Amino acid sequence: MKVPLSWLRDYVDIDLTPEQLAERLTLLGMEVQSIDRWGGDWQDVVVGELLSVSPHPRADRLSLTTVTIGDGEPLEIVCGATNIAVGQRVPVALPGAVLPGGRRIGRAEKMGVVSNGMLCSGEELRLTSDADGILILAGDAPLGRSISELYGDVVLDVDVKPNRGDALSLIGLAREVSAATGAPVRWPSIDVHEEGPEVGTLLDVEVVEKELCPRFVGRVVNGLSVGPSPDGIQMRLQAAGVRPVSNVVDASNYAMVELGKPTHTFDAAAVHDHRLIVRRARAGERLETLDHVERDLDADTLVIADPAGDLAIAGVMGGAASEVSDKTRDVIIESAIFDPVSIRRTGQRYALRSEASLRFEKGQETRLARIGADRVAALIGEWADGTIARGRVDTNPSEPEPARLPFRPARVNRLTGTDLSHEEQRSLLDRVGIATEEAVAGEMVPVALDPQAALVEPVPGEALVAILPTWRRDLAIEADIAEEVTRVRGYELVPGVTPHEEMPHFRPTPLDVRDAVRQTLSGAGFTEVVSYALVSPRHVDAFRLRNPVPSLDDEPSPGGEPITVTNPLSSQHSVLRTGLIGSLVEVVASNRRHGRDEIAVFEVGKGYAKEGDRPREWWRLGIALAGSRPASWDRPAFPFDLDDAKGVIELVARRMGLGEASYSPELDEPIFHPGRTARISAPGLLGIVGELHPALTEAWDVRAERVIVAELALRGLSAGRPAPVRSVPPPRYPAVERDLAVIVAEDRPIGDVARVLRASGGDLLRDIRLFDLYRGAPLASGEKSVAFRLAFQAEDRTFTETEIDEVVKSVADALGREVGGRLRT
Amino acid sequence: MDLDSLRADLENLRRGALERIAAASEPAQIDQLSVDLLGKKGELTLVLRGIGGLPAEQRPKVGAIANEVRQAIEGALAERGGELRTGALGRRLQAESVDVTTPGRPIPRGSRHPIIETMAEIAEVFGQFGFVVYESPEVEDDLTNFQMLNIPPDHPARDLWDTMYVDIPEHLLRTHTSPGQIRVMHAERPPIRALLPGRCFRYEATDASHASEFFQVEGLMVDEGTSLADLRGLLDQFAHAMFGADKRTRFRPGYYPFTEPSVAFDVECLICGGRRCPACSHTGWMTILGAGMVHPVVLQYGGIDPERYQGFAFGMGAERIANLRHGVGDLRLYLENDLRFLEQFP
Ligand SMILES: [Zn+2]
Repeated sequence: MKVPLSWLRDYVDIDLTPEQLAERLTLLGMEVQSIDRWGGDWQDVVVGELLSVSPHPRADRLSLTTVTIGDGEPLEIVCGATNIAVGQRVPVALPGAVLPGGRRIGRAEKMGVVSNGMLCSGEELRLTSDADGILILAGDAPLGRSISELYGDVVLDVDVKPNRGDALSLIGLAREVSAATGAPVRWPSIDVHEEGPEVGTLLDVEVVEKELCPRFVGRVVNGLSVGPSPDGIQMRLQAAGVRPVSNVVDASNYAMVELGKPTHTFDAAAVHDHRLIVRRARAGERLETLDHVERDLDADTLVIADPAGDLAIAGVMGGAASEVSDKTRDVIIESAIFDPVSIRRTGQRYALRSEASLRFEKGQETRLARIGADRVAALIGEWADGTIARGRVDTNPSEPEPARLPFRPARVNRLTGTDLSHEEQRSLLDRVGIATEEAVAGEMVPVALDPQAALVEPVPGEALVAILPTWRRDLAIEADIAEEVTRVRGYELVPGVTPHEEMPHFRPTPLDVRDAVRQTLSGAGFTEVVSYALVSPRHVDAFRLRNPVPSLDDEPSPGGEPITVTNPLSSQHSVLRTGLIGSLVEVVASNRRHGRDEIAVFEVGKGYAKEGDRPREWWRLGIALAGSRPASWDRPAFPFDLDDAKGVIELVARRMGLGEASYSPELDEPIFHPGRTARISAPGLLGIVGELHPALTEAWDVRAERVIVAELALRGLSAGRPAPVRSVPPPRYPAVERDLAVIVAEDRPIGDVARVLRASGGDLLRDIRLFDLYRGAPLASGEKSVAFRLAFQAEDRTFTETEIDEVVKSVADALGREVGGRLRT
Repeated sequence: MDLDSLRADLENLRRGALERIAAASEPAQIDQLSVDLLGKKGELTLVLRGIGGLPAEQRPKVGAIANEVRQAIEGALAERGGELRTGALGRRLQAESVDVTTPGRPIPRGSRHPIIETMAEIAEVFGQFGFVVYESPEVEDDLTNFQMLNIPPDHPARDLWDTMYVDIPEHLLRTHTSPGQIRVMHAERPPIRALLPGRCFRYEATDASHASEFFQVEGLMVDEGTSLADLRGLLDQFAHAMFGADKRTRFRPGYYPFTEPSVAFDVECLICGGRRCPACSHTGWMTILGAGMVHPVVLQYGGIDPERYQGFAFGMGAERIANLRHGVGDLRLYLENDLRFLEQFP
């Protein structure tokens, strides 16, 4: 809410600088978001007096004026307005002045006469909304003084929280200032000069929906003349961010800013039979609202109608037909209380939120219906010279007494960690208008209310009762009193201590495995990325796996349908991704577009889907490689390929204490290269790794020859810890190595050879490592030689050659039997 | 063979040997000379074979001379050998010298994402005070995201969270990590000290200071006497751990439907040190998180008696903390994954 300080001072004395005041309000919970100098942008606009006004020799519509600004030669200024006369004081923009909006004023020739500046309208200065005439200032405005100094203001932008609708008003904020400084709040004196007939002869109100409109106060002002409000009023409204419209509309807005009470004015001539009806709209009804949009109404919409039809959407927006206009002579003032939820829903349904509906939504103090009607009637009477009818139409004149809220000062202390006496708490509450007294026996303390009341009977003598001001609709439970006590005293005075209570039991963090994976991969030269979970439908379709990587542990398995946002910001971010591969491809693509060659990235992230109406989420590790490890001055570049990805996956598996990875060809996933893709499996690890299908590389504009991607499910990724390592002492006897070259058919996967080696190598075989692959003479075509280095190790002895020879022989037999291999000698 | 001729032979041997040793130019020649002169079948041995023809009384005399010759040769070999070896090593070292000013062979760098790392650091600080990490779903139900946090349907406070809904009835993308409070309370009994990091979503157009996806860290502590003073003490220590022990902090009222009293927690502006600047909207302070005492209704929804127990909760944006610590001015950088940005982090 924009708060012009000069206006706020009407209701409370302020003996602080704007910065001090802003800080005090902020510390009370009324956060000041900015301190603006309204009018600070009027440079070189000063008060001048018209010394002469004569017709321009060559243009009928222009006048030639001379103006004094106190000292120096009078200025000759050409002016197009007709409302000026000798002796008036007016704003003069001197050459060099800059007006709001950045308009620069210079010396200019107008039809043969040089104009040394410009006389300004209220609109040009954004002081009033009058664009037709020059702004005529008060006769005692000091000559030469800057307009900025005279009419500028300091405006605080206060972020009033949703629970404090009462503070969406200058009166409400004056109460907060009073709480901070102790200065008393001054209510505006509201003089309603009732000179007209009894209001009952002019207005009849029927509330059909009493639940939705608990109170309706009406007043009538007759014989008024609609026109601009006094300049000073327009300036105030402008500073508060409200556009001046006319004296009648301005009166309503003025009261809303001042009291926080929205009201509405109807042109009485447009109301049939002087009769207003508050009811639900009927199906099929239409209404043209003030914004000139024709709207279809529904039965959930509360309307103000007359016997002939609807006039306004209650609390949200008036109708065009009954709008106050220049021709309006009589107005009906509506000052009502509406059901906050109904107003909120209606505003949302029609996408119509106004300053008025915003206040209604937060709930209104009942008595404001009466005060608001009186205030608006008084202002219209004064500014538009109308005759106010006697009395009010009031559908529910009873105004509730202040509510009682029992609380225990000891619980306030327990909640806030303080030790304040009853007396201290009472005097703090008193500063925000909350009177207190001893609780009566049997009065229950509300620890909680809705939806399940927790009422506690206090120990006699240990409870007080807060007598709540009627405007404080936010206070309902004991903890609310704790906040009032604390904020009036100052949150700064809450002591800071280190908790000394019992610690919870140990619980392992769910992040252990994820962190270990992240450390491993970043240590191996990979960069961690975090990408959007929301992607485009095209992305989800393009990158969905035919057979998703299954889940481990008890994580929900992927599958089901993607989850779609029903109100997305854009289709680019409208579906939750079902895996990480697409995200990583996009990361590769965007970095390639920056001209980057080497890309090695990973993400630990979630996939999402729904099974029926149940959402599912699961954790995956994704890896992507593109380009090459760069050349250094004495080494060539290494283009990344599938084995680099497998190598890093095996590294992760080893670091996580998982078993040996094995691979099998994957020919049937459309997003992958059918000849360069494998399913991986190891104890505690499942996944897919391969080259992205060239068609996708092109479709997604990746600009890399090859992109290698992997998606993996890992034991413990969702919540787990790497199992503690079981160590063995280093062997005391040396390992013995033997190189075996095996000739197999070209189409025989090396993985098969390795499997046979492992299976047939016996207990003493510790490790096998592929070190050579050969094709060509003397091998037959269709054959290849696969060379492995085998390491044998025993705990208790050194091997004899014979022992090893025996193992090699049985390995050779197995190779021959199972993969048709023979040893190359 | 007589004594004089033997003596002359030995003398010739010595002279010739010393000349040859002096003429050697490689350590290998010295090794060869050592074998040729002093070896089992060497020249000295050959000369001394003649000793057998001498009378017994002359033999010791010849022995003494032979010893003297041996020592002289040995000494010369050692000396010349040393000279030659030193020279050879020197030449090798010289031949092997490289340009030591070439850059090192690069090891790929790798880095971890600043947001995930920031959350890990936050967890580490609170971990020292017994807070343990929990996680809760990102696709959340309206009940847990709003209603159980004391935000019924049609509550004006719902405006504080612009929400994305999904095609599952009554479900949405969680707008904050606060629903995790409910889930922790359903899983644990007091004493509770929980930390909930994770991804959140808002219906908010993306720009330098707004993001539709972002990360929060929620904290929750519940026990019989857990108070606002405990909250303040912990937050002070947290701020000092993250931003420096010399930083002033400020505790002021805030508003959340799920806390009462509610708190906003500020740290003195890290740019101007409190002297007011544009970065802190001329207040001298930067808000780093919201907090408060858990609303009794929220405790009830969590199955905890609000008369016996009380507690605090706090929630902070990981991006906000990372921005301040790393001098990042644009939220979009975190999800754009430009490696030129990410590789600045360890
Ligand atoms: Zn600053």
